[in-house]
Amino acid sequence: MMGHLVVRNLLHRPVRTLIGVAAVAVEVMLVVVIVGLTSGMLEETAKRIEGIGADIMLQSPSAQIFLAFSGSPMPIKIADKLREMKYVKAVAPALLQFNSSGSIDILYGIDRDSFRAVSGGLVFLQGHDMEGPDDLLVDDWAAKAKHLKVGDTYTLLNHRWNVVGIVEHGKGARLFVPIRTLQDLVGAHDKASIFLVKCTRPEHTADVINEMKATFPGYPVRPLKDFMTLMTSTNIPALRTFINAMVALAVSIGLLVIFLTMYTTVLERTKDIGVLKSLGAGKGLIVRALLAETTLLCILGIAAGIGLSYIVRATFLAIFPTLSILITPEWVVRAAIIALVGAVIGASYPAWIASRKDPVEALTYEK
Amino acid sequence: MEITVRIQSLANAAAEPELKTLEPILKTENLWKLYHAGKVEVPALRGVNFDVLPGESVAVMGPSGCGKSSLLYVIGGLAQASRGKVLVDGNDLAEMTDAERTKLRRSKIGFVFQRFNLLPTLSAKGNIAIAQYIHGDGYDPHRFDVVTKMLGLEGRLAHRPSEMSGGEQQRVAIARAIINEPKILLADEPTGNLDTKNSEIVLEMLRRLNKDLGQTIVMITHNPEATVYFDRVVHMRDGVIVDGIPAD
Repeated sequence: MMGHLVVRNLLHRPVRTLIGVAAVAVEVMLVVVIVGLTSGMLEETAKRIEGIGADIMLQSPSAQIFLAFSGSPMPIKIADKLREMKYVKAVAPALLQFNSSGSIDILYGIDRDSFRAVSGGLVFLQGHDMEGPDDLLVDDWAAKAKHLKVGDTYTLLNHRWNVVGIVEHGKGARLFVPIRTLQDLVGAHDKASIFLVKCTRPEHTADVINEMKATFPGYPVRPLKDFMTLMTSTNIPALRTFINAMVALAVSIGLLVIFLTMYTTVLERTKDIGVLKSLGAGKGLIVRALLAETTLLCILGIAAGIGLSYIVRATFLAIFPTLSILITPEWVVRAAIIALVGAVIGASYPAWIASRKDPVEALTYEK
Repeated sequence: MEITVRIQSLANAAAEPELKTLEPILKTENLWKLYHAGKVEVPALRGVNFDVLPGESVAVMGPSGCGKSSLLYVIGGLAQASRGKVLVDGNDLAEMTDAERTKLRRSKIGFVFQRFNLLPTLSAKGNIAIAQYIHGDGYDPHRFDVVTKMLGLEGRLAHRPSEMSGGEQQRVAIARAIINEPKILLADEPTGNLDTKNSEIVLEMLRRLNKDLGQTIVMITHNPEATVYFDRVVHMRDGVIVDGIPAD
């Protein structure tokens, strides 16, 4: 009977119900998509770093694991010291530059030959390797997103580049340029952001790491085999804070809309509450009825939110093919719980108000 | 006051009535109800003494503002008495907490209101069944059928209040009020929003409930013609009962 009453009440004001459902859906979608976007981008970046084929990466002491925000570059001479180490087969310096003018890109300045020695070489789908100082290699996803083909020019960092090759994605960056040109453009002469090291055999990685740590104390030395497990939002404090802020924002939206929805519901149903009380309904039953209504509304919102998340992801990926949005069951469940708890909290005060209404005043209430 | 009355359960309408000697099922002693208008105390009831026996039907009449509704709300446990006693089936409502009065209301009182007060989102069936649900015994199809048939509602059960006439709505409200076999049925101007024909139908139904089934009824009314359907008429003025006369 309670279930019937709850369903009938929700259907009685369909627009209000839809607004409540939409608010919860947006809340769930925001949580799922924002977390999915950060996780997806991190995972995709990590896959590309792993995909280079190097065994070890050396970063500057102030660098974060998320390469786009690496610290100040290191002297490129470090590469020579690394090459002298036992079991080191090849070393590739790379200068990473974050570009946000026009579009958001991470640009890899590489030395063609050393990068090939470490990675085994890029796989060319079109064109050829970099030969001139203004040559640009683009991976297939970025080429699709930016509508680039071999022979085009593309402006990055206020510099016109010639697209000379389209390469298969998955080897570090989406955009590659000669390291010297990039050093000149950003004023980092003879500097590199990272050094990628290839060992003579994979089982020598630990020995090389130990030697690198001894030679360069304070410099983060990471085995790339485990890079994906390191690239999580929890390992990047700024991202964790960002995610928490976004979740709090999403929850606030849901909570406030549910609060308003249920508050107006209680005001509108003042007389009905009086009737229920005249029939002998206690405070607990009144609270349960309203919370059940909120829960049902929230469940509908969660279902809609999950569907909306997939629609938003598909839309984003159609517009921005280089994005990666990772929707995981764990975060879908978390978003659902967050939405449910937020909704129940939002409905608690109106439910409490309803349960405390004086039955005589409620029965004589006129809209 | 003691009286021998005929009591017959609605569920056992065909059975032989029992004969019992009974105490008043409703009794007020020096009942006061004060309302607060700012710092001013406004007395709505000023020491009401009032008895109703089991199976009796009583009409309470009086001018607007004389305290009729306040009396109904207090004896129904919807409002707390300021002073005095309200004994319903031996339980003093004046001494009870809100939760205790709610429980008593659930099991012993049925209300019928002037404006029907049906839940607009539910059908007639839902409006009646929710009273059974709140009562705690759940949906009883046999009892439901007996009551709805008696009130002529069989064909209207799927309709919502907005799809029914005033008379039909009031019959649904009566069904809701008696579905749990309350000790006392309290009616607050149940014909106040009805035309003459529907008023007569509703009053006749209340009379049948009382005469055929022994349902105790206290009804507030402005309508002198309605009093002929009741055993006794009580007049109120300025918060007190001024007399009690037999209807005949």
